[in-house]
Amino acid sequence: MADSARQVMDTRFFTLRPGHTLGQAARAFVEAGEATGRRVFGMMVVDHQGKLVGMLSLYDILLAIRPKHIHLWGEMQDLDLEGLLDRTCRQAAALRVGDVMTTDLITVEPDTHLLRVIDLMLKKHVRRLPVVEQGRILGIVYLSRVFEYLLDRLTVSLPECDWECVDPA
Amino acid sequence: MLLRVDQKGVLTGVTVREAMRRQVVHLLQTATVAQAIRSTVKFKVNALLVEAPDRRALGVVSKTDLMGAYYAGLPLDTPLEAVMVGPPLFCRPEDSLDAALEVMRSLRVHRLYVEEEPPGVAVGVLAYPDIVGVLYRFCHRCRRTLLKKGERGLDLANQVRVREVMTPGVAAFPESASLYEVMEGLAAQRLAAVLIRTSQGRPVGVVSKTDLILAYLHEMPPDTPVREIMQQPVVAVEQEEALEAALRQMIFADIHRLFVYKERPEVVVGVLSLSDAARFRSGTCRACLASRIKVGGP
Repeated sequence: MADSARQVMDTRFFTLRPGHTLGQAARAFVEAGEATGRRVFGMMVVDHQGKLVGMLSLYDILLAIRPKHIHLWGEMQDLDLEGLLDRTCRQAAALRVGDVMTTDLITVEPDTHLLRVIDLMLKKHVRRLPVVEQGRILGIVYLSRVFEYLLDRLTVSLPECDWECVDPA
Repeated sequence: MLLRVDQKGVLTGVTVREAMRRQVVHLLQTATVAQAIRSTVKFKVNALLVEAPDRRALGVVSKTDLMGAYYAGLPLDTPLEAVMVGPPLFCRPEDSLDAALEVMRSLRVHRLYVEEEPPGVAVGVLAYPDIVGVLYRFCHRCRRTLLKKGERGLDLANQVRVREVMTPGVAAFPESASLYEVMEGLAAQRLAAVLIRTSQGRPVGVVSKTDLILAYLHEMPPDTPVREIMQQPVVAVEQEEALEAALRQMIFADIHRLFVYKERPEVVVGVLSLSDAARFRSGTCRACLASRIKVGGP
């Protein structure tokens, strides 16, 4: 089907296992970014059979980093908090991916229409959607890729514009 | 269940609205025990609200309930409606804080949910740590507080020693004890964590309810020796240490309690909780003394 998830999905993707630590996941984000040339802020989590079991996003990691008592030390401004961030990150890095991953999965099929994909991303506030067919992961759709695809359509047969480019340098 | 809270007290004017947390961590009644464990760990909360699809609050699932499900051998895909405790207790945003505290104290509950219209839908939650924060802020604003009196107040806070605020005595288990035994101990004594000792009695680790529910999520058999899941090292403080330093240590370690030792780390003599410490700091004048919170359990 034209204009479906298949047209915009990345078929080269990286996955995590539930037993990986968040530190290992962060390393995987960096390495996947280097390999693909685009920043990676979330990944699919699969079990030993390659079945999708969760998603790990930057929000899951930020929640794991946020200190439990932040509302208290916000009140205690006379406390010296130097070094707190490093320590908090070390603690979060030891957690397992499976401990904090999101398991309420939203997926699409390769033939899901792109407008339906956009609707899901807006309604569910997600930036990436796994593309699954009969239980098998075929790819992943990134919001940025969808938008790139739309940019081409939006600019088709557009007359010349006289927009300005501001460059203080 | 709605509890009308309208008594007057020393915190007159401070309402539930000023202390409540607006982010209520909730799951559907059909969500599983595994999802509840992930949510408590990720959001670092002690309990979750269980809701119907129309957002009506049906019950509460605490770490204690999740630990109970582990102990009972329930599968991880058990729906929350099978393990929740309900109905949740509610107060309203305009209720006075001291009266809400009194309700929590008398009913020995650690949190009240907050409802507006329509009733039965949670718009916030009020738990002890939230109240501690407000009391601290209230104290800073209060003209009578010692902390407000510049250097003198701060010096006084620094002079307070851990032993003056700690809860004496400590619950401990040998490192060979099973997770079953530790769960029984935590439940019977209404504790959040216990000390783990070697066979020679040396403190080597700490096990909290969070560690136990993570063991559940990792599908560890409950007869596993506790040494396999304990957190090391024991975060501890000497009893003559300044309360200020102990507070900083707890915040740094992102923990709720410190074990307190006397002279040598092997001699653990008590426990200092963040609630104890912050409560102490929340004022030393007569008005605040009367309003100090008594947290349920020993």
